Amino acid sequence: MTGLSADNFVSYSYRELPKKNFNFGLLFTLVGLIGIVLGYALEPERTSFNLIIVFTWLTSIGIGSIFFIGIEYLTGAVWSVPFRRIAEINSAFVLVAPIIAIPVIFNIHSIYHWSHPEALIHDEILKNKSAYLNQTFFVIRFIVTFLLWFLFYFLIIRNSSKQDTSKDQRSTRRNTIISAIFMPIFAVTLTLFSIDWLMSLEPHWYSTIFGVYYFSGTILASIALFTFISIALNESGFLVEGLNREHYYSMGALLFAFTNFWAYIAFSQFMLIWYANLPEETFWFINRGVGSWLYWSIGIIFVKFIVPYIFLLPQPAKMDPKRLKFASLWILFAHYYDLYWIVMPTYSKTGVVFSWIELSAIVFSIGLLVVCSYFFSKGRNLVPIGDPKLKRGIEFHL
Amino acid sequence: MNIEIDYTVEPEVVKNQPSHSSVNDAIAAPLETKPSIKYYIALGISGSLLLTGAICLGFSFYYGVGLWGNNQPVGWAIPIVNFVFWVGIGHAGTLISAILFLFRQRWRTGIARFAEAMTIFAVITAGLFPLIHTGRPWLAGYLFPLPNQHHLWVNFTSPLIWDVFAVSTYLTVSFVFWYVGLIPDLAILRDRTQSKVKKIIYSIFSLGWRHSNRHWHHYEMLYLILAGFATPLVLSVHTIVSFDFAVSIVPGWHTTIFPPYFVAGAIFSGFAMVQNVLIVVRKIFHIEHIISLDTLEKMNKVMLATGMMVGYAYGVEFFIAWYSGNPLESFVFFNRVFGNYAWAYWIMVSCNVIFTQLFWFKKIRRNIPIMFVIGVLVNVGMWFERFVIVISTLSKDFLPSSWGYYKPTLVDIGILLGSFGLFFTLVILFIRALPVVSISEVKAVIKGSQPQHH
Amino acid sequence: MENKENRNLYAVGALFDSPNKLVAFAKKLVNEGYRFWDVHSSYPLHGLPKIMRLKWSPLGYVALVLGLTGTLTGLFLTYWTMSVDYRLTIGGKPWFSFPAFVPVLFELTVLLASVGTAIVMLFIIFKLPNNRHPLHDSEYLKKVSVDKCGIIVESHDAKFDYQTIRSLFGEYGASEVVDIYYNEEEIAYKPRVFEPKFIVFLVVIAILTSAFGYLFNNKVLYLPPFDFMLKQFKVNPQSESMFFADGFGMRTPVAGTVARGQRDYPFKGKPDEAGEKLVNPLLSTNDVLELGKRKYNTFCSPCHGWRGEGDSRLNGQFPNPPSLHSEKVRNWSDGRIYHVIMEGQNIMPSYASQLTEKERWAIILYIRALQRSLNAKQEDVK
Repeated sequence: MTGLSADNFVSYSYRELPKKNFNFGLLFTLVGLIGIVLGYALEPERTSFNLIIVFTWLTSIGIGSIFFIGIEYLTGAVWSVPFRRIAEINSAFVLVAPIIAIPVIFNIHSIYHWSHPEALIHDEILKNKSAYLNQTFFVIRFIVTFLLWFLFYFLIIRNSSKQDTSKDQRSTRRNTIISAIFMPIFAVTLTLFSIDWLMSLEPHWYSTIFGVYYFSGTILASIALFTFISIALNESGFLVEGLNREHYYSMGALLFAFTNFWAYIAFSQFMLIWYANLPEETFWFINRGVGSWLYWSIGIIFVKFIVPYIFLLPQPAKMDPKRLKFASLWILFAHYYDLYWIVMPTYSKTGVVFSWIELSAIVFSIGLLVVCSYFFSKGRNLVPIGDPKLKRGIEFHL
Repeated sequence: MNIEIDYTVEPEVVKNQPSHSSVNDAIAAPLETKPSIKYYIALGISGSLLLTGAICLGFSFYYGVGLWGNNQPVGWAIPIVNFVFWVGIGHAGTLISAILFLFRQRWRTGIARFAEAMTIFAVITAGLFPLIHTGRPWLAGYLFPLPNQHHLWVNFTSPLIWDVFAVSTYLTVSFVFWYVGLIPDLAILRDRTQSKVKKIIYSIFSLGWRHSNRHWHHYEMLYLILAGFATPLVLSVHTIVSFDFAVSIVPGWHTTIFPPYFVAGAIFSGFAMVQNVLIVVRKIFHIEHIISLDTLEKMNKVMLATGMMVGYAYGVEFFIAWYSGNPLESFVFFNRVFGNYAWAYWIMVSCNVIFTQLFWFKKIRRNIPIMFVIGVLVNVGMWFERFVIVISTLSKDFLPSSWGYYKPTLVDIGILLGSFGLFFTLVILFIRALPVVSISEVKAVIKGSQPQHH
Repeated sequence: MENKENRNLYAVGALFDSPNKLVAFAKKLVNEGYRFWDVHSSYPLHGLPKIMRLKWSPLGYVALVLGLTGTLTGLFLTYWTMSVDYRLTIGGKPWFSFPAFVPVLFELTVLLASVGTAIVMLFIIFKLPNNRHPLHDSEYLKKVSVDKCGIIVESHDAKFDYQTIRSLFGEYGASEVVDIYYNEEEIAYKPRVFEPKFIVFLVVIAILTSAFGYLFNNKVLYLPPFDFMLKQFKVNPQSESMFFADGFGMRTPVAGTVARGQRDYPFKGKPDEAGEKLVNPLLSTNDVLELGKRKYNTFCSPCHGWRGEGDSRLNGQFPNPPSLHSEKVRNWSDGRIYHVIMEGQNIMPSYASQLTEKERWAIILYIRALQRSLNAKQEDVK
C-alpha cells in the first residue's frame, strides 16, 4: 500500500533547461545590481524604499508558492500535481528574499519613522506602540518569521523530492499533515510580516484587513508565476505528455478568482475607511491622492482589477496558453505596481517618482526571478514523478 | 505511520456502488412512505416553538416593541443578533452548492440539495428580523425604491438598504439555483409516482423536463453560470451585513477586517448547522452511503479551517486595537474580554476557537456524537459572537453617562425560539415534500455512470 | 407499416443499459449525418456534447448582457434618485457617492444575470413548460428516469428510415427498441389565451387584489394596532383640550409679543400712503427673480394666470381678476402692489401669512418683469 504500483509510473526524462534565458537573466541581475549598489551609495533612502518593494514582491512569490503547495495537499487537488515541482522551485524565493532585506535593515532609520528614539518623545501614539515597533523586536520578528518559513520549505520540499525515488505514498501523507500545521502559522507570520514591512511605513495608520490584503496579492503573484512557468515549460516539452488546456483552465480560473478576491478586499478596505471618514485612517488614502499619486491610485483599479478581469472573463481565455501567459505576466507586474503604491508615497509625498533607481530595482527583480528559477531547478526533476496522484493529475478532465 | 488512504485512486463519493434504481428508491422513499410517529413528534416540537414565536410577535405588534429589551444605548439588540445569525446559517448552502461546485469538490453532491434548502429557509427566517425590528413591518414596502408621488426614494448610501438588496437578491438567486437543480429530480418523481395528485403537482413543477442531452448541455452551462454568480453573491451578502456595522464610527464595529471575518464566520456556523441536521437525516432515512462519513469528515475540516479564520480575525482585531493607539478602540476590546459581557465573550471564544481545535484529530472528525456536540457548540458560539459584537459594543458607547446593561426580555427569547421553530418546521416539511439529495447528481457520480472515452 | 401510423410516428427510440454502448451509437449517427436525434439520460453524460457536436452554449453571452443591464439599471437608479430627483446630503458625502452605490449595483447585476439567464434557458431556449411533447409521460422516458439511457432518431430527419434504424439499434446492443407516436389530441391542441375560463380567472384575481389593496390601505391601516401613529399624546390643530380653561387646544400669542420674522404693517387701510412710502429693498437679480417666479407660480398664478393676464386655471369659477398688464397696475409703485398682497383687494384675500417679506418683494419684481415682457419700452431692447 505504501509504494506505487507499476501502472502508476509516468515516463519522464530529465532535460537540462536551455542556457539562453539564463544568460539574459544574469545580465539583468548584474545590471540591476550595479544600479542598486550605485543607488545605495548615492541615495540610500530612496534605494532602500525600492528594495522593500523588491523584497516584499519576491517574498510574496516564495511564500505564496508554499501556501499553494499546501492547499494542493490539503484539498487533495489532482490537476496541479504534474506542475507542483514548479511551485516548489518558485517557493525557493523565500530563501533569496531575506538577503535583499539586509541593506534595508541597516538603513532602517531613514525608512521607518518609528525607529527614531527622538520621534517617540513627542508622539504619544508611537510611544504606546514602541513595545512592538522597536528595532530589536523588528529584527527578531524578521529572523523568526523567515526561520519558520525556511523550516516548512525544507520539510515540504524534502518530502516531495524524496518521493521521486522512493515512490512512497507516506510522503504525501506527511506533507499533508505538515501543510495543515503550516496554514495557521502562515496566517500569523504573513500578517505580522505585512504589518512590519508595509503597514508600519506609516506608523500611525492601521487597518485590520491589511494582512488579508497583502495575502490576496501574494497568492495572486505566486499563482501567476506558477502559471507562466508551467505553461512555458509544458509548451516546450519539459514536462510530461498529456498536459493540456483542461489543466490550464484551473490556473486561469484561479487567477480570475483571486483577481476578484483582491478587488473585494481592496474595496472593503477603501470603502470602510472612506465611509467612516475618520482622520486617523483616511490620511493614508489622502496621501495617495496627492499630485500624480491620484492617477497612480486610479490606475491600480485598472491595472490590478479591470484589465485582468476583462481579460480572463471569457471561458476560452482561461484555457488559452497565449492569453494566460500574458495575463500572468500582467498580474506579476500588477503586484509590483500595487506594492509601489503601498510603499513609495511614504518616500515621495508629492507625486510619483521614477528614475534609474526604480528602473534598476525592476530590472534586478526580473533578473533575479530568472536566475533563481534556473538555479533552483538545476538537477531536479521538473515533475514530481513519485507522486501517487500524478497519474490522475495527467488524466485530469474538467 | 498508519496509511489508510491510497492516493492513486479517486475517493468514491457514493459508497457501495448502488444501482440507479436503488438511488431513486432510497431518495424518494421519504416522499412515498407514511411518516413515523417520531416525525410527528419532531414536527410538533418545532411547530410549538413556531407558535410561541408567533404569539410573542403578535403581542409585540399589538403592544409595540416596548415589550423587547431594546432601549438606549442598546438599540440594536437581539433582533439584529438573530438576523446576522440566521443569514450566516444561510451561507453554507450556497457555499456548498456554488463554491465547492466551482472547485470541483465532488463530495458536495450528497449534501448540496439539503444545504441549498436550508439556505432558503434560513434566509427567510433572517429576513423576518429586520422587518420586525422596524416595529411596523406592514410598511416594509417602503424599503424598496418604489416610485411615489413624493419623489421620495430610499437612501442608497445606507448600508441598511444594501441589506434589503443583498438579502432579497440572495433569497431569489438561491431559490432559482435550488429550483433549477430540482427540475430533473421532479421529472424523475413525475415518472415514478403512482398517485394522481402528486403526478399533477410534479408535472407542473418539472415543466415537462425530458432528460434530453441537448438540454443538459445548456443546463450544465447555466449551472456553471449560476455558481459563478452565486459565489461572489454569497460573499457579498455577509459582507454587506458586516458593512451595517463597519461603516459606522463606533469603536469595535468600525474595523476593516469585518467583511472577510463575517463571511468566514457565516460559513463556519452554516456548516455546523448543515452538519447537525444531516447527521439526523442520514440516520433516519438510511442514506448513510450517499451522505457518507467521509463527507461529514470533510465538513468538519471546513469547520476547522473557518473556525481558525474566525480566530485569526479575533486576534487581529485585538492586536490592531492595541496597535492603533486609539484609547477608544483599546477600551472596547478590553471591555469585551473583562467587562460586563465577558461571559458572552468567553462563550464565544471557547465554542468557536477552542473546541473546534478537537477537529485536528481524525478520530474526533469521524466520531458522530462528538462532532454533533461540537457542531451545536459552534452554533452557540457563533450566536454569541453576534451578541458580543452588537450588545457589548453598544452597551458602553461614547457617553459613560448612558452606559447600560442590556437584558433580553421573555418576549425576545420567545421570538428567538420562534425563529428556530420556523426554520426547523420548514426543514421538517421539506424532508417529506422534496428529495433531500439530488438524484441526478448522485447518479452522475456513481462509478460506471459515465461513458469511458478512452 | 400503414401510412396513417407512419404519419404519427415521432421517433424510434432505443434504451441502453450502459452509456458506453450508447456513445458508440451516437458516434455512428453523427458520422452518418443524422441531424434530428437526441440522447436521454437522467443525468448529464460527460463528453456527449462534443460527440453530438453541439454548439457552444450561448448562455454565457446572455448572462453577460443581462448582467450589464443590471449594472446599468442600478447605476441609473442610484444616480437619478440620489443625485437628481431628490438630493439629500447624507453623512457629508457627495450626492453621487459611487463607492456607496457599489453594493446595490453588484446585487442588481447578479439578480438580473442569474434569474434572467435561468428564465431564458427554461422558457425561451427549451420552450418549457411543455407537457404535450410526444416523449412526455412515455414508457421510454419513464425508463430513462429510472436507470436506462436512451437515444431517439426523429422521423422527420432526412435520412430517417424505419427499418435501418431499428436494425442499427439491434446491432449496437440496445436492450429495448420502442416506437414513439404523436398523440392526435396533442397535435390538435392549440393554447388559447381568450378562453372564457381564463378570462374569468384573471378578472377574479384583479378584483381580489384591488379589494385587498383598498381594504388594507384605507381600512386596515386605520385599525389598531396599525393606527398607533394616528393616536398620539399631542394637541392637533383645531382640537379640543381639557388642559386649558377655555377648552381650546390652540393658543393665541401672549399680548405684546411679536413672532420672529413678523413685523407690524403700519399702512393698514392706507393704500396710497403705502404706495408712496414703501420702497422695494431688493434688486432684480437672477436669484430674486427665480424666487419671485416660484412664489408667483405657487400663490398668484392660480387666479392671475402664468403670465399675469388674468387667464387663470380657475377662470370662470370666480369673478375674473384683472390683468396685471393694465395701465393702472403698470403705473402703480412697488409699495402699492405690496399693499394689495398684504391686505387683499375686492375678492382677493390677504396673502400676508403665506409669504415672507422677501418673497412678497420678489414677486413684485417678477410681476415687473412680466409687465415688461408684454409692454417693453424701447430701451429694454438694448
